[in-house]
Amino acid sequence: MEKLFRDKKAICLFIAPGGILFTIILLVPIAYAVYISLCEWNALTPPQFVGFANYIKLFTNDDIMKTAIKNSLFFTTFSLVTQQVIGLFLAVILSNLVKGKNLFKNIYYLPCVLSSAALGLLFSFLLNPKMGLNQILAIFGIQGPLWLMDAKGFIPLPMWVIGTVATWQYVGTTMMLYMAAIAGIPSSLYEASYIDGANKWQAFKNITMPLIKPMAKTTISLTCIGSLKFFDLIYNMTQGGPNHKTDVLATHLYNEGFQYFKYGYASAISVVLLAMCLFVTFIINRSIKVEDYEM
Amino acid sequence: MKLSKKISISKILIYTFLILLAVVYIAPLLWMFSVSVKTNAEVFSSPFAIPEAIQWENFQIAWGIGKLNIAIVNSIIVCVATLVCSMLFGTMAAFAIGRMRWKLSGTVMTYFLLGMMVPVHCILIPLFVTFAKVQLNNSLLGIILPYITFSLPMTIFIMVGFFRNMPGELFESACMDGCSIYGCFFRIGLPLAKTGLFVTGLMTFVNNWNELLLAMVFISDVDKKTLPVTLTYFVGPYSTNYVQMFAAIVIAVIPTIIVYSIFSNQIVEGLTAGAVKG
Repeated sequence: MEKLFRDKKAICLFIAPGGILFTIILLVPIAYAVYISLCEWNALTPPQFVGFANYIKLFTNDDIMKTAIKNSLFFTTFSLVTQQVIGLFLAVILSNLVKGKNLFKNIYYLPCVLSSAALGLLFSFLLNPKMGLNQILAIFGIQGPLWLMDAKGFIPLPMWVIGTVATWQYVGTTMMLYMAAIAGIPSSLYEASYIDGANKWQAFKNITMPLIKPMAKTTISLTCIGSLKFFDLIYNMTQGGPNHKTDVLATHLYNEGFQYFKYGYASAISVVLLAMCLFVTFIINRSIKVEDYEM
Repeated sequence: MKLSKKISISKILIYTFLILLAVVYIAPLLWMFSVSVKTNAEVFSSPFAIPEAIQWENFQIAWGIGKLNIAIVNSIIVCVATLVCSMLFGTMAAFAIGRMRWKLSGTVMTYFLLGMMVPVHCILIPLFVTFAKVQLNNSLLGIILPYITFSLPMTIFIMVGFFRNMPGELFESACMDGCSIYGCFFRIGLPLAKTGLFVTGLMTFVNNWNELLLAMVFISDVDKKTLPVTLTYFVGPYSTNYVQMFAAIVIAVIPTIIVYSIFSNQIVEGLTAGAVKG
């Protein structure tokens, strides 16, 4: 038995396909991207090493980049707050529900499995200035705002709208993960606490909260990284417009790399994006301490 | 008496809230279906009314002229190939990490999980350039390979939990009966991890079915595009033809809705058994 599970040859065989793919498709290209980001390269002429010129331009001489970083950070914060609050709230309510638990859970999770591209088109139509939602508002005599085209303000209205749509679509994931964590808590713990005279809120605060902390770490990381690299909805709802007001890092990268074919410059954006993702994960792992409980 | 009344009021409040929220989730989708069977004139005059007559030809036009028939075949090929490979490679690696005893298992696990933090955008340009050199651009294999790679971390993350929590006695008795390590994996490990396989399978399928950015960049040949990419064309040249755009959206989302409704009840069970205790 022991020998069988220490079989070096079998371990290598099991790890090899995944490990090789990971190295060739992920690790090597990342290293290559870091190198390209140090070059001036417009797809037609061979790459030319220019050191940190791309990064310097990115941070000192690119207004769209400033908007993109601002929007990405706003979007991440917005998603994090709304998804954690609503997701946990729904998970707690649904977990305690006797009837209809699965029905509601399945409805709220449904948009997560649908294509963001399709939902983006749907909402861009629904939020059209002349049609959709504004027609309903017009019946009540309200002049609806230009949901996706208003460019005013530090955080323009379209970013709030896209953030809300993203929460609508993805809050189900957070809810589902929290429901799984709550389902893993033995009910004997709750029974014991009620015998000791705890009320529901105390039970939630002292039993549920500490025991779902590992899952909180997972959901927070997933939401942050997912929001930083967010692309589909924005591309299909506003394409970064009006006048780049709703550009995020991913759309800026796509435009620079595959509309203007500035490979070097776009790679610099991608390295910044990667650094932000790793930094966020590092912070989350540092700041949320997870204790192990025997259950 | 007083207590039971209080409970029933809070119950009514909770259910009212849940039903209202469910309406917020269902209404846009129902509306999408209703628009897809209207005429263009109807959409402009009364977008929220119930369709007067059902226009099935919207689907026919979107299917043929919009090239959705080709796109859906491409999407199926890509998704099935990715699903099979990533499930096999992922569970194999997860079995070695979660069940077998070796020094570097923790390091290898971290290596795979790093993949969850890497945005696909980072490898877009280098991979595009490299694939162009080896003739992998503009081919379905060129997007299948990165899809498998990006599906692995989630599969491994969930499956490791499953393999770790399996009772060791099962494997011990199998060994006594002369089962090899490969037999342990295929005959005991995999069947026991069925719920986990459903969850990871569903997530892998859904993610790749909906993936837009990579497919958009890597494939320029019209006959090799996947569904989400084809959808974006309805914004451009077909933009005034809303009914066909909506028919196309409906065609694109229906397969995921079917797959989801088959496996939806397994999701929480799968995640609970795997991730939480692991």
